[in-house]
Amino acid sequence: MAPISIQLDRISKRFDHTVKGEVYAVREVSLAVEQGELLTLLGPSGCGKSTTLRMIAGFEEPDEGTISIGGKDVTHVLPNKRGIGFVFQNYALFPHLSVFENVAYGLRVQGRDEAAIGRAVGDVLELVGLGRYERQQPHQLSGGEQQRVALARAVVFQPEVLLFDEPLSNLDAKLRVEMREQIRALQKRIGITTVYVTHDQEEAMAISDRIAVMDRGEIVQEGSAHQLYYRPASEFVARFIGRTNILPGRVVSAAEVEVEGLRIALATSRAMGETVQLVVRPEMIELGPAAGETGAAHIVQRTFLGEKTDYLVALGGSTLQVSATDHYRRPPLDVGQPVTVHFHPEGLHVLG
Amino acid sequence: MAARQTVSWRRVAADPALLTAILAVWILLLLFVLYPLAHLLERAFFDESGFTLEPLLASLVDSGHQAAFANSLILATVVGALGTALGFLFALTAVRAGLSRHWLTFLDAAALLPLVSPPFTTSIAIIFSFGPKGFITHDLLGLTNVSAYGFWSTMSAETLTYFPIAYLTLRPILAAIDPNLEEMAFSLGGSRWRIFRTVTVPLAVPGFANAFLLLFAASLADFATPLILAGNSFPVLPTQAYLQITGLFDFKGGAVLSLILLVPAVAVFLLQRAWVGRRTYVTVTGKVGQRSRSRAIAPWASVLLVAACVAVAAIIVYFYALLLIASLVVAFGANNSFTWHHYHVIFTEGLPAIRDTLIIAAIGMPLGGFYGVLVGYLIARRNFPGRRAMELVAMINYALPGTIVGIAYLIAFNDPPVALTGGVLIIVACYIFRYSPTGIRATVALLQQIDRSLEEASSSLGAGSGETFRRVTLPLIAPAFFAGLGVVFIRSMTAISATIFLVSISWTLITVRILENMTEMALGPAAAFSVFVIVVVFVVVAGLSAILVRLRAPAAGAAARSFLGG
Repeated sequence: MAPISIQLDRISKRFDHTVKGEVYAVREVSLAVEQGELLTLLGPSGCGKSTTLRMIAGFEEPDEGTISIGGKDVTHVLPNKRGIGFVFQNYALFPHLSVFENVAYGLRVQGRDEAAIGRAVGDVLELVGLGRYERQQPHQLSGGEQQRVALARAVVFQPEVLLFDEPLSNLDAKLRVEMREQIRALQKRIGITTVYVTHDQEEAMAISDRIAVMDRGEIVQEGSAHQLYYRPASEFVARFIGRTNILPGRVVSAAEVEVEGLRIALATSRAMGETVQLVVRPEMIELGPAAGETGAAHIVQRTFLGEKTDYLVALGGSTLQVSATDHYRRPPLDVGQPVTVHFHPEGLHVLG
Repeated sequence: MAARQTVSWRRVAADPALLTAILAVWILLLLFVLYPLAHLLERAFFDESGFTLEPLLASLVDSGHQAAFANSLILATVVGALGTALGFLFALTAVRAGLSRHWLTFLDAAALLPLVSPPFTTSIAIIFSFGPKGFITHDLLGLTNVSAYGFWSTMSAETLTYFPIAYLTLRPILAAIDPNLEEMAFSLGGSRWRIFRTVTVPLAVPGFANAFLLLFAASLADFATPLILAGNSFPVLPTQAYLQITGLFDFKGGAVLSLILLVPAVAVFLLQRAWVGRRTYVTVTGKVGQRSRSRAIAPWASVLLVAACVAVAAIIVYFYALLLIASLVVAFGANNSFTWHHYHVIFTEGLPAIRDTLIIAAIGMPLGGFYGVLVGYLIARRNFPGRRAMELVAMINYALPGTIVGIAYLIAFNDPPVALTGGVLIIVACYIFRYSPTGIRATVALLQQIDRSLEEASSSLGAGSGETFRRVTLPLIAPAFFAGLGVVFIRSMTAISATIFLVSISWTLITVRILENMTEMALGPAAAFSVFVIVVVFVVVAGLSAILVRLRAPAAGAAARSFLGG
């Protein structure tokens, strides 16, 4: 395992709220980010992810707990002494400085000589594909270009860690995908420890080595995108990451669970007769036309989306979301048509 | 997460540049705002035997002082009401009468002229017009034995001088009322007059209140106009306090009188904060109806509005023309032959005053500009214990009538430990702490439009708070800096109410010389001095405006306006 680069130890941040009094923005968050790793803090707005990031940067100070970067306790160190590169949601380019001067800013503050600054800035602008833009003013650039300047500015002085605060949320959808690939490529290339904040689960899954999901000021689950998707620890995580069905089930034997009258083969350690919640992703359910009128389920709605067809299926007291990605091979199912429902055991996960 | 940050001394202490700035500002505020004020209170309420209310009570039962108090309030009320009405007339015409650009520029120029002039110009022109040898009273009407002194002339001069404040307050409010609202009411079948009463005026109510209070305060604090025009029959508080000190050398009496003036001044200040500050009906929808000429005002009403404004503007232009002519003739009204003599006088005998004023303005301008930007930055951007207190204390000298500030400085800095009277520093300090708050406010307003992340970005790139301020914040708030410079300069050239107590044999001011000329009935040099000041102020304001336009910052326009509003 790589050495730990950023260590948060039970940090908390409280704010005075005009109505609710003192509220926790971040509560006892502990986190370790390995050297060279890209960790994403993912969660809905107001979950404390940005506050956590801003505490790592030093823009805010935790009320409790400690933060260390590279083994040094920096809890009370000012941001300018932490050696962090920060990329802001609104880019925060200095409007009175040219692209070159924006990127050179950190180096000038360090008092590097002119030749070294020129070389370093030229190199990094080349790296982000903006070599010809040195003399432009920020307002002359497009959103994506501004974002790349902000990125260049944050990495040029070779900070120990790189922090991103929802860097892509002001860009349009297509550019967002392009930029996140660039960011990931650059991060891997220079091998810099990175913490990335976003509320977009797809972005998080695309870019991260590891994701920490936050809710109401706390980290509720940490893991790879794979783990979070297939093995969510809670209903919140299951619903936040991807689309999901959460179905009530009852353990009927050591190898079987009953869901809405269907017996499904599923090995579980739960006690016989216990009710459980099952997480099933829409694309892991298979539908087929039921013979005759005997099916327990029928189609409620059908939506053709090109790459897949989405169905809403009534099954007992539940409504299932089902995505058929192999729809090009099968005739479409009609609304009202009785269907058979098949759950793939490997796609089933018992919550809690 | 837009929540309040916890205030931490540890954070402040870890940041030497911030700590130094905070301490420096507090030392200055203590020395030049709180210390003089404390001295004023001590002088008014303490004697050898300790605390006493006797001078205050004696002053309150003095019939002369009671008259002065009543006169001040009556004058301020009438000026407030008339000035607001006049300002509304101008604002409505500018916004709704569908004037061409040239007419608008003319009205603007005429309305703003009084604000950048030395405080006596209207008064001098009134004497030229309505005095014993006045152009209108004597030459045109052939009257003799008329008096230009008293309530009516003082009130007229103050109204003409201060109504532009109401104009500047009301115009943006009227402009922000979407004409579609009025047109909608029109389409519902209301008559134009009814719409005016039920839509336009109610929406402008907070503006009226604010304009009235600003004018009330301005009139209450006005010293120059009553000193020249009120005469013996119409004493007001600021002039009484001045005479108490300069005529009778009664510092205690002057201190007490100025404190009586403080009561209505504070009342107005609190009213404005409590009532007007929170209410604004102005709706910014982001989607403004087409800027067509509003049909909510009938064509004949537009013509009347324009005619009324032009008449007022004509009076102002007439006054300034009179001033210019008076500065170029031997003796206005008696010998109207052309001469450069008065200008010769002001550039020879008057040269020390001109030199002193320019030196004082030149020292005060950069210091005041920088001080305004620094305090504005600390208030708007930094979080430290005592921030609100700093904001309040920094505004005190600005909010107080100049007479109080002048007397407080005179009393406080006359003796050790801080003996400054007679020097240049006391005048410069008085201007800085009295007129930089405009720069402070402009800075705060501008910073509210600049995202905090710019400073955080600089900080994350390794810059300390001092370096961030110098490299990022300062260039971005340059418009506020120049606005602050402008106000300090204009006021250094034109103010008198506070500094008349602070001039000395070695350091005097143009405005004080104008006053001396007036009392010696040397009206020619007084007019020449006034013309000189107006020209210098105009040149400097034009220069600064050009810089502001070049900077093209979003708030440049607002900052430029705050030149005059302050």
